[in-house]
Amino acid sequence: MRSGASCVTSDPAVRAFFESALKGLRLKFYASAAAFLKSPPRGLAVIDSSLPDMSGRDLVSVLRGDKKTSGLLLVLTGAGPYSSAAAALSLENGADEYFAFPPDARLFRARLQNLSARGAAGAGAPAARKPAEYVFGALRISPDARAASVGAARLKLTALEFDLLLYFLKNQGRVVSRTILLEQVWRQGIEAGPRAVDKRIEALRSGLGPFGAKIRTVFGLGYLFKM
Amino acid sequence: MIVRPKVLIVDDEPDYLAIAARIAAKAGCAVITAATALKGVELAEKEPPSLILLDVGLPDISGFEAARRMRKVPALSRTPIIFFTVRSELDMVSEGLKLGAAGYVLKPFDPDELQRRIRTAAFPS
Repeated sequence: MRSGASCVTSDPAVRAFFESALKGLRLKFYASAAAFLKSPPRGLAVIDSSLPDMSGRDLVSVLRGDKKTSGLLLVLTGAGPYSSAAAALSLENGADEYFAFPPDARLFRARLQNLSARGAAGAGAPAARKPAEYVFGALRISPDARAASVGAARLKLTALEFDLLLYFLKNQGRVVSRTILLEQVWRQGIEAGPRAVDKRIEALRSGLGPFGAKIRTVFGLGYLFKM
Repeated sequence: MIVRPKVLIVDDEPDYLAIAARIAAKAGCAVITAATALKGVELAEKEPPSLILLDVGLPDISGFEAARRMRKVPALSRTPIIFFTVRSELDMVSEGLKLGAAGYVLKPFDPDELQRRIRTAAFPS
């Protein structure tokens, strides 16, 4: 690793792991998102998912979305055990790598070294890797191909329903209100209200077949998608 | 009698106001709400809460400005404030955290995470 790494964590156990696994490297620790954002350094940042002032996932999303920090190499560590859904979601939110804590120390160090070397070799950070396909049992979703299938059967979703599905994927485990769906997913110029959202969600649920039940209504106020 | 910590929630979007109120209640808090920043400041002065959940994009003044006004009130100078908002720009997040926010939660949010943050802030150990 060329110049070390920034580590964002307030958890003594996570800090101790970083110090041990990355021994010999120059590490700088930040105990909160606020401390890190005061003057975000360049290079590699390893971010704990549970920070005192922000979730690591939100911090990654914020850093990736700003041109001043979009070139950072971002590694997110989440509470274990490992789940492919959490890993895919982290990459989708902009992380370059995801590890469930505690990862295997040698693998962790080697992957960070590879990542850092690739970043150093290029003009900046390698583009964040987005999964080409999400697989949840029999359900497969390919964002680039805009295709989804259950088993061998390709799902017939409208463009808007597919956009809704992608939005839910990106925001798995979060309560999504009708208002925010109208703001973020509905196309500009199309008049729509909360009832239109409900109808489209019903259509999406129906289109997803047995996986439709994964879009849950929360308190009758919004929706939550969790695989 | 057990006194539940009071949480003030300020949000102009009824859906999120209701969701956050239910999560705060589930966390064991008493809840008061306001749909505008100025009403929130007024309510906070009148009934100083243990925790304030504050949207940023409010119709009258911003959540940040509301937080600044609240901080000038002696009874609210140390009250934890959690911003919860769709505003995910780095400059906005930095500004919110510089104001001394106890948390910055992006909408749409994970209800379990919001509940954890409310518990941590409203029931300090």
